[in-house]
Amino acid sequence: MTDPSDDLYPIAVLIDELKNDDIVIRLNSLRRLGIIAKALGPERTREELIPFLQESTDDEDEALQVLAEELGNLVPYVGGPDFAFHLLPPLESLATVEETVVRDKAVESLNKVAEQLTPGLLELHYIPVVNTLAKTEWFTARVSACGLFAVAYDRSSEDVKQELRAGYNALCKDETPMVRRSAAQHLGKYAEKLEKNLLVTDVIAMFAELCDDDQDSVRLLAVGSCSALAKLLGKEGSISKILPTVQKFAVDKSWRVRYMVAQQVYELCEVIGQEVTIAELVPVYVKLLRDNEAEVRVAAAGKAGDFCSFVGGSLTLKEILPSLTELSNDTSQHVRAAIATVVMAISPIFDDANTVEVNVLPIILTLLRDEYPDVRLNIISNLESVSKIIGIQLLQKNLLPAIVALAEDRHWRVRLAIINYFPLLARQLGIFSFNDILGKLCIQWLEDGVSTIRHAAAHNLKNLAEDFGSDWVQEFVFPKMMDKIAHPHYLFRMTILEAVAAMATVVSSDILTTVLLPEMLKFNKDKVPNVRFHACKLMKTVIPHVDPSIVESTIKPWLSDLQEDDDHDVRFYSRDALTACH
Amino acid sequence: MAGSSDLDAWISRLRECKLLTEAQVRTLCLRAIDVLVEESNVQKIFPPVTICGDIHGQFFDVLELFKVGGDCPSTNYLFMGDFVDRGFYSVETFLLLLALKVRYPDRIFLIRGNHESRQITQVYGFYDECLRKYGTLNVWRYCVEVFDYLSLAALVDGVVLGVHGGLSPNVSTIDQVRLIDRKQEVPHEGPMCDLLWSDPEEMVGWGLSPRGAGYLFGSDICKQFNYINGLNFIARAHQLVMEGYKWMFDQQLVTVWSAPNYCYRCGNVASVLELDEQLNCEFKVFKEAPHELHHVTMRKITPSYFL
Repeated sequence: MTDPSDDLYPIAVLIDELKNDDIVIRLNSLRRLGIIAKALGPERTREELIPFLQESTDDEDEALQVLAEELGNLVPYVGGPDFAFHLLPPLESLATVEETVVRDKAVESLNKVAEQLTPGLLELHYIPVVNTLAKTEWFTARVSACGLFAVAYDRSSEDVKQELRAGYNALCKDETPMVRRSAAQHLGKYAEKLEKNLLVTDVIAMFAELCDDDQDSVRLLAVGSCSALAKLLGKEGSISKILPTVQKFAVDKSWRVRYMVAQQVYELCEVIGQEVTIAELVPVYVKLLRDNEAEVRVAAAGKAGDFCSFVGGSLTLKEILPSLTELSNDTSQHVRAAIATVVMAISPIFDDANTVEVNVLPIILTLLRDEYPDVRLNIISNLESVSKIIGIQLLQKNLLPAIVALAEDRHWRVRLAIINYFPLLARQLGIFSFNDILGKLCIQWLEDGVSTIRHAAAHNLKNLAEDFGSDWVQEFVFPKMMDKIAHPHYLFRMTILEAVAAMATVVSSDILTTVLLPEMLKFNKDKVPNVRFHACKLMKTVIPHVDPSIVESTIKPWLSDLQEDDDHDVRFYSRDALTACH
Repeated sequence: MAGSSDLDAWISRLRECKLLTEAQVRTLCLRAIDVLVEESNVQKIFPPVTICGDIHGQFFDVLELFKVGGDCPSTNYLFMGDFVDRGFYSVETFLLLLALKVRYPDRIFLIRGNHESRQITQVYGFYDECLRKYGTLNVWRYCVEVFDYLSLAALVDGVVLGVHGGLSPNVSTIDQVRLIDRKQEVPHEGPMCDLLWSDPEEMVGWGLSPRGAGYLFGSDICKQFNYINGLNFIARAHQLVMEGYKWMFDQQLVTVWSAPNYCYRCGNVASVLELDEQLNCEFKVFKEAPHELHHVTMRKITPSYFL
């Protein structure tokens, strides 16, 4: 143990820096508040640090945000739950500031502290904070107060509960829209803590009131709590209390409210059950899919996968699919991109391949030809689920031409997605189609203009070699690649080298030593140093797969020769590869 | 001193767009000076090499460039200046290129652009960015010190001249460039200034530059210079071209621009020029990196001089 005064020195610096003029330094110290408090001990933290912090609440927003966050973590350092109430006063003042992010952090920390208080201390110290904030004249305090009720209510006595309920009711009717918004936003959480019998009388009344608000920003937050309330009310309650509201909001004049409904509609379905959904919510949903506002259509389309599997195949086909088909030609690319994702998700709910072929496949084919790469990409990256259902023959007949067209897409990320899909395609179609057109594509990609594609192409060949075996490599791939092994451009020679090395790690040792390794060894004579050291780098990955005697007799001398190369990087990578020889 | 394994760690850190510590930057910059001081004013480069224009701190677009052109060290690169300013990640961009230079001095070459200057970086962002990201000016000081050591031009196989801006009325042979004492802040006039500031223009003879530094030079000037020095063509950067590259003067000069959607709003594509071992030219055109790849969130800190 060193001299204790030495240990305290860094702490003294940190404390000093809490007052520094430079915000970066103050922030640094504030983030270490826990360390400072720990060093000071509980008593001095309570009596000196907290009052000091209490006075530092006129700092810049960024510092206050950090302070608000760190105060929530100080409970263990002020002496545990019994003394945690000391943290409340500074947090209370932080909960009243102008800046929203600071207040949000303060509310978060207040909740954190409250959870650790005993019921007695909660009532003695925390409830007054809630009540004061809820009644402060300036609205920011009341906005913060809305977020504090849930924790307070949960563990209070009957009398206090009644007072709290009255408090929250008042906030819901506050004259400032910002406060009503906050009340609407926290309604779900608050309702969770309320007794069941009070839900219908108290909460629903407040909910109804907020839903009728003339500010759309309040209404939309009220809608946001729909699904939370529905879960609390259960099936019957939701059907009578929530469903009508949702139906009304689906035609609200503000699109942001309709957007919120589109976001929530599926969760409501789950609560009210399939039967009522089919009767009451399907028309609402279809209306949202045909909304005037693209944002709403995107949100609604995004839920199509869940929604359709909930209502089942036949109803989807009759009621929803026509709208989805229409949306695949939507003017907004974002809508089409959303449909592209979702159409793949709904395919599995139809049990027969025929339905998919007649109704879903045309949508997929349209979207595969979409002018926006994102739309095409969303289809390609989910092709797996469709090919499972429609089977190989249909896949070959309909999708393959589209895939082949996309293999030459102008956007390299689309080509990359197609390459990444190939190992899967290979498993579904089998080796047969790969000796023909698909196999040719695999080779063609090795000469792509974009480096990432060439790299992926090399590794694609490795994946295929794993599935199709060494003979396929020898009979099909190798002869086609040999044309290019002396390509005049060094970047393409490196790609061929990379493909050879990648396949070398998965083929039989016979093919490796008689076919692939000899080709790799030739690259030490390449006139471009980049190719030579790339050969060394790749050789390092191949060495573990080669018979030790051949490593000793062939690879080691080959690498040793390269140690004498003129180029520094060739010498470095050959030396590096030599370390793998043992 | 940092070994190659330290450098490799720094490079992978920088590739993730994470900062190095101030001490690491200092070490890196000192090492870079050791490497750059050995290079000539007109650095000799052997083909194959991929030539790139301005990148201006657009870090994620540089990663995109590497995805299209190939990674360093597999692909050889020549960056023709203007690594910093305007984009959000000048520090990360310049340090990544510098770390690659130190790690693979024969695989990547950096020459000076007009933004690699104390004065210009104080106006166009690099200075503020260093201050904001580090809280002190030390990193900026280390970097501008490195700028003074960057070569002024590069000569590929004796026949392709790479230079940031263009020609100077005071320079008729490449040998004259070799005589400049380059270890200084970019001057306001004279040959060193002109090489970094001049622009080609469809005209005859020399003209005044609207930039206030360097000159405009016409096709006759360019053709004469190429003839005297035995050049196939001049590759330069310095001017935004919407298509990523632009040939001028009967293919005697090409402008290469490598900052897609310049300043995050110009809507242009970018390109790099691939010269293979036979000096065949191929342009690789690319767009900006998709937005979702910009994973680093900006910290909102007011620069401290506002306080």
